[in-house]
Amino acid sequence: MLEACVFATILCGFFGIIAKKNLFMKIVSMDVMSTGVISYYVLIASLGGLVTPIVDNTKDVAYADPVPQAVILTAIVIGFSIQALMLVGVMKLAQNNPTLEHRKVEKNNTP
Amino acid sequence: MSTITIAWIALPFFIGFSAYLLPKLSRLFAFFVALASAGYAFKIFLEDSPIILQLLDNFGVTLAVDELSAYFILTNALVTIAVILYCQDSDKTYFFYTQLIILHGSVNAAFVCADFISLYVALEVISIASFLLITYPRTERSIWVGLRYLFISNTTMLFYLVGTALVYQANYSFSFAGLTNAPPEAIAFIFLGLLTKGGIFVSGLWLPLTHSESQSPVSAMLSGAVVKAGVFPLVRCALMLEGIDPIVRLFGVGTALLGVFFAVFEKDTKRMLAFHTVSQLGFILASPLVGGFYALTHGLVKSALFLIAGSLPSRNFKELHHQPIGTAVWIAAAMASFSISGFPLLAGFGAKILTSKNLLDWQVIAMNVAAVGTAISFAKFIFLPHGGKANVQPGFWRAMILLLSGLIMANVLYYQAYTIDNTIKPLITIAIGWSAYNLIFQRIVIKLPRVLEEFEHLIGVMTLMLMSLFWMVMP
Repeated sequence: MLEACVFATILCGFFGIIAKKNLFMKIVSMDVMSTGVISYYVLIASLGGLVTPIVDNTKDVAYADPVPQAVILTAIVIGFSIQALMLVGVMKLAQNNPTLEHRKVEKNNTP
Repeated sequence: MSTITIAWIALPFFIGFSAYLLPKLSRLFAFFVALASAGYAFKIFLEDSPIILQLLDNFGVTLAVDELSAYFILTNALVTIAVILYCQDSDKTYFFYTQLIILHGSVNAAFVCADFISLYVALEVISIASFLLITYPRTERSIWVGLRYLFISNTTMLFYLVGTALVYQANYSFSFAGLTNAPPEAIAFIFLGLLTKGGIFVSGLWLPLTHSESQSPVSAMLSGAVVKAGVFPLVRCALMLEGIDPIVRLFGVGTALLGVFFAVFEKDTKRMLAFHTVSQLGFILASPLVGGFYALTHGLVKSALFLIAGSLPSRNFKELHHQPIGTAVWIAAAMASFSISGFPLLAGFGAKILTSKNLLDWQVIAMNVAAVGTAISFAKFIFLPHGGKANVQPGFWRAMILLLSGLIMANVLYYQAYTIDNTIKPLITIAIGWSAYNLIFQRIVIKLPRVLEEFEHLIGVMTLMLMSLFWMVMP
């Protein structure tokens, strides 16, 4: 069930990238897609157990897998910085193309 | 040796950020980093066994350095040095050199890592650094081209991440070797990412616009070294896992034909070179075992030709036919074109022979067609009128001398290729290519539609590729 929701988020984001006409909305859709991917890693980490992986010898519980969580932190940071970079680019483009419709931008800038 | 490896990987990032603090030394820093990489590559050639580093536990960073990586690292180093020499007298600021250092470092990282997450990080840093280099002129067009590049590579890397998660779920490790146990959808997702990032087949059609609209030194860097960061992991996987090998070879053949088909009809110098890069990546994939040497010769030739194309008076072949170019520039262009067409006495010859020896039976015809196509495309450079006045940057010749002498020296690496049989075959290919050019292709004007290069279609093609990949890897 949860897995289906995660994949639905990824697909919604991907569909948004194709269907949205506005460049800004495309970037937001990409963020939705990356949220889906990140939650997929969290889901995989929690398959074995839900307790925060800080070893406590007094209790006998199933811990969550720390590796996917640690790895996805890197991906979050990278995704965030790329997003910021792209928004700056879009801001620059908006000076000459206020509607930011990607077809117009593309037509103006393809030789 | 492992300490040297780690220090060498960390060096570009350390120096890259120091270049911000000492802007005056940035060019010197960049030069030093590239030289260090070249030295490291030679050191690897002398090692007997590959270096394999497993940092932390089975889920940590894995590095593997062998002869194959050494070829790719050497390519990256030589191309970077040539670009720095070319830019020596231009007004590029420290920002340009800083990004160049970081790009160089991350491409190197992609050539040595052996697990999917390190590769992901390296590829994403490559995207960011290339974006900043593409948009360096700050014009609207450059920003759009850069944005398009960043958008496509980031979307495809998200698919790649899903595949990586599936590999981890199956193996509790991210290493390349885990791909055998992974479910087919993992392979499909990961390959989609690598194929798009490496500019292979239809998912690589973002490449021509990006490479042709950047400034010449940046195009040289992108085409000569950066795209190979996406191709290298495919070669690695093909060598490590038997099941993957036929898929990689098939994509190699497909992209070799597709790229050369567009290149033959192209009338714009830089776009022709960019399409031809797509085709040459196919040659690297078509015989993974010897892909390293091919990548080296291609990197040298392609960066030289992009730098030459940047200093010609026009980008249109038709206009160039009415404006004779400088004889010295023409000689450089002809040397590079001869090498890539596989003419003896230059490194391209050895690389072509080595590749054709490692082809499987079903690949041979298609790759010969692609080789003829290469000869046709580069006849466009060879048959340009010359004798005019050359107007080049002072750094131009330093870069050319490095790249072209590299071609001659690499020629010696595989001297066994010089037998009569081997020599005749490329000569026939070139003869067919040139006569086809003079009789047919020079006269016809066909403008191929660019519909596949539109942004929406590039994203849409990803779904198609994903489905066909899934269908291919299904047991």
